[in-house]
Amino acid sequence: MAPEASLSHLHRADGSATYIHNGYCIIGAVNGPIEVMRRDEMPEEATIEVNVRPAAGVGSPKERHLETLLHSTLRSIILTRNIPRTLVQITLQVRSLPEEDGTSGVNTSLTLLPHLLNTALLALLSASIPLRTILTSLLIALPTPTPKMKQPVPILSPTSTELFRTQPIASLHVFAFSADRKLLLSESEGTFKYAEWEEAYEMAEEVCCRDQGGVGLGGGEGMEVDGEEASANLEEWLRGVVRRKVEVEQRWRSAT
Amino acid sequence: MATKTANAAPALSFPRPIFAALSPHPFLQAHLSSQGQAKPPRANGRTAADFRTPSIKTGALTHCHGSAVVRVGGTSVVCGVRGEILRGEDVQTADVEVSAGNGEGDDTAEISGLRLLVPNVELSTGSTPLHIPGNAPSGYAQTLVTRLRSLLLSTRLIRARDLRILYTPPGVADEMEEEDSVPEVEIKGYWVLYIDTVFISLDGNALDAAWIAILAALASTRLPKAYFDEELEIVVCSDTPSEAQKLELRGLPIPSTFAVFEGQFEQEGEEYDGEESWVLNDPDAFEESVCREMVCVVVDGSEGMNKMAVKRIEKSGGGVVGKDIMKVLVKRSAERWQIVQGVLKEVE
Repeated sequence: MAPEASLSHLHRADGSATYIHNGYCIIGAVNGPIEVMRRDEMPEEATIEVNVRPAAGVGSPKERHLETLLHSTLRSIILTRNIPRTLVQITLQVRSLPEEDGTSGVNTSLTLLPHLLNTALLALLSASIPLRTILTSLLIALPTPTPKMKQPVPILSPTSTELFRTQPIASLHVFAFSADRKLLLSESEGTFKYAEWEEAYEMAEEVCCRDQGGVGLGGGEGMEVDGEEASANLEEWLRGVVRRKVEVEQRWRSAT
Repeated sequence: MATKTANAAPALSFPRPIFAALSPHPFLQAHLSSQGQAKPPRANGRTAADFRTPSIKTGALTHCHGSAVVRVGGTSVVCGVRGEILRGEDVQTADVEVSAGNGEGDDTAEISGLRLLVPNVELSTGSTPLHIPGNAPSGYAQTLVTRLRSLLLSTRLIRARDLRILYTPPGVADEMEEEDSVPEVEIKGYWVLYIDTVFISLDGNALDAAWIAILAALASTRLPKAYFDEELEIVVCSDTPSEAQKLELRGLPIPSTFAVFEGQFEQEGEEYDGEESWVLNDPDAFEESVCREMVCVVVDGSEGMNKMAVKRIEKSGGGVVGKDIMKVLVKRSAERWQIVQGVLKEVE
């Protein structure tokens, strides 16, 4: 299941995106570059502010933790030195969570984190904030080995129903990769070996980053033909979302 | 005029602290890239792969059930564990009674659902200039509490068995015999552990210090024997110290934090130079303020060194650490585990 996304649908914000995947629905809005409060102003780079609002109630320390993670990750991809003494404000509102979210027995901030990262990136793209690279993020779950299945198959971006069914989960991993295949964020929890982490890393890299062989001219052409089909790869999906948005904006040109 | 310039010239070379305060990034880079030494020291005199060895003292607070003071270099932390009783009537215990008998079941849901562990961190004690006393907990403090809490829960350190207050109704021999199906053991209450961590001074690496203090405090915790008094119909605690129970901890997860220092910030949006980066073990406050990428690896080797299990990997803030460097960091964490485990053993 590919995520659904729509860009620039909020008219008062500089950039916005809605992202729907596996029952998670998140609205992201970005304002920037705007004037920064004197206290937060930095002479050589832009200040980044991330606000995460939960689906119900007000923010708790859990949201502060997510904000800290998003802040440090996004700071590494936004070209903050190109827009010094300004503020980039990113607000992410969780609109809905899957029904089984609380019952799957895993850390709910890890299951939410990749969706927040993807939404934040879409909103930043929509606001045309200068970025060094793009990022794609993914959740991987490793089920506990059972006598029947000694080598359990890792589940890529599991739905909460899948997580609920494959209890107990041995470990959960969140990875975020940049377009040049660098690991930007990794949050893993549970009990695992380094080799298992590496295996999950390679699987996530495969899904997050597109095949480097296809970057040439031919790859670009093939992608457009594939369209929706290529969505198994997150980077191609992301490029598809942006391409469709640009196509819509360029209608006046192509109509003539 | 000429003599004046000659006099002013020596003043252009700054003393160390002023260089560090004016341009922290080049200061650290100058240290790390100094030539002529096999292992160039950092500004604090350690090499890149050096940890600070913690020193631990337990039982420092008299009003707690368990406590510890931990010093890791310039970071000192006090942790106190205090148990309070959650009455059985106040919670729905129906669904957990099944697992009451065995101790090895998956009890995370019980502990997290009833919130039996309440960690808290106090940074605003004047421990560091970044946190002004008297303010609300900063985002940093809240992040720290969340990480500590999820580490407590995901490592399943504490057994729900130790926190349950059980009561076996006296078997009224003849009449009750037909009703064997009635559960014999009832949960009359729970111990809720309030784990308060106060930073006396903070010189970097708050998580490691706080977690070692929590581990030492929990290991020294003695909960008084609590039982249900049939006549009073309340849970009471016994006064006898010899009846107090220790907590049986599961494993011994130890975190190690690393900071990644990227030499020379990128200019005009160029890619940063991957070669010019150093991974610094156990960063101090100065290094934390300069480094952006942080890695934290939690390992547990209590089941034997060759079965070293990784409990958690956290990494964010940059793209330097990939899988190859991570492998080295997991190895370094395993070495750290042995050292810290040795120190913790000495205290017990």
